[in-house]
Amino acid sequence: MDTVLSSATPSATDVNSFLSAAEKEALKAATFQRLHPQIYLERFLEEKIRPDGRSIADDENEDTHAWRNVEVNVGSITTTSGSALVRLGNTTVVCGVKAEICEPELDNSDEGFLVPNVDLPALCSPKFKTGPPTEEAQVLSERLNEVLGNGMIPLSSLCIYPGKSAWVLYVDATVINYDGNVFDAALLAMVCALKNVSLPHAEFNPELNRTICTRPKSDSSKPARKLIIEEDLVPLSFSFGVFAGSYLLPDPTASEESLLDTTISIILNTRARILALSQLGTGVDKSEAPGQGVADISHTREADTLARCISLAKKRQAVIMKKVYDT
Amino acid sequence: MRSQTYHDRANVNIEVAIAAFSASERRKRGRGDKRILELSQTLKSTFEPVIQTSLYPRSQIDIYIQVLQQDGGLLQACVNATTLALANAGIPMYDFVCAVTGGVHSTSPLLDLTLLEENDLPNVTVAVMPRSGKITLVSMETRLHVDRFEEIFRLAGEAGTVIHREMRRAVKDRTEQLVASMQSVGRPSTGADVGDNEY
Repeated sequence: MDTVLSSATPSATDVNSFLSAAEKEALKAATFQRLHPQIYLERFLEEKIRPDGRSIADDENEDTHAWRNVEVNVGSITTTSGSALVRLGNTTVVCGVKAEICEPELDNSDEGFLVPNVDLPALCSPKFKTGPPTEEAQVLSERLNEVLGNGMIPLSSLCIYPGKSAWVLYVDATVINYDGNVFDAALLAMVCALKNVSLPHAEFNPELNRTICTRPKSDSSKPARKLIIEEDLVPLSFSFGVFAGSYLLPDPTASEESLLDTTISIILNTRARILALSQLGTGVDKSEAPGQGVADISHTREADTLARCISLAKKRQAVIMKKVYDT
Repeated sequence: MRSQTYHDRANVNIEVAIAAFSASERRKRGRGDKRILELSQTLKSTFEPVIQTSLYPRSQIDIYIQVLQQDGGLLQACVNATTLALANAGIPMYDFVCAVTGGVHSTSPLLDLTLLEENDLPNVTVAVMPRSGKITLVSMETRLHVDRFEEIFRLAGEAGTVIHREMRRAVKDRTEQLVASMQSVGRPSTGADVGDNEY
């Protein structure tokens, strides 16, 4: 935070002398957040509010202000076959899809390939240094790979000529700004970019042993086509964090993320049906009596948290659908 | 990096990352790519004398550039983006650095060339510091007849001042926005911290 940085320069005393009272308060709060992040967050949550001003999804108080604003912009990168820029609050992800032609595998001679990849460069956050992909980037890539590979794009639709020629879609996402919940943002960016993809008409010529593509709009009998997408399998992710075993925080920011002990992701399809669920951590701990130790891992408690997450996700999904399908 | 610490000034570190989908051919370029290293080095030597590094001893200023789409003028865009990012970060500089590409087609001069033009025509990238009129960077990798060079060079220098006007406007607009939002929170703005620097 730049306030801490300014106090390290030789002119720290000068800065303080012309700060107004309100600015001094803000500096104290920022310093407190740096030194005691856990207590800082606790103090906010006790007042039923989060540091960025959102309300906590608390039982019946489930309004969509618990989530950050989503902005989606597609098709701005013309060197790609399809692209999308997604902003989830301050978290910003750019995704570009490049289509290339290759030979299919021997085992799956009538299938193309989908290769997702996420890049977390040093510019998106001070957490990341330059160098080989961090563990977080690799885990993120793997999770996205699993979710996208479940059939949203039927690989057989990417085949041009069985055994000889197929499309390979490289889906490259770059995180431009990291402010928590990158998984949701990256998945949304990839889904929107894939929906934006326009493949040129491709024909395999067995005599020449080559694939011939037709430039879009040059021949009206060979038009470019959109990808074939299995609408029931289009994934949309909604992530939650659990803080201190008791507060459920939808769409955590970066400062909250580092303090969470559990992350829950609910992946729904376009009809708000669950495609996948993941929970990393123990979930919400509602045990009241001091006598109940760790041995009492009540299954109903777990089910409650998940049920709440699922219902919150479904509510939010309606909003996201409008954003994704209206662009 | 510890080994690059200077006791009396800041170390400036520039890294360029080019997205795989930015060019018409998908190519994943690692950080060690020679072209990218050359670009980073060029930018570093352009900005090191411009940033007031003596104000931040034993520190490092990291500048990360992410290229999303390429259509010619890469070095030019990197220089301009870096200038604005440094201004946005509040890092003191002696002047703006404004860059523009210039080229020539038979006898007609061109400015701000696209990729197709760059591949075909001789072109030069020129970066100027508008207040002093000094040129901080000239980069040409094509062959150009020396008689033509002076004209293109001069034109590109003048174009730099046009870019400077736009940059100033952008920085001013942003500062005005920030001032407005600070004031709306009820904080009185003292003259010292919101001075409109005459760039």
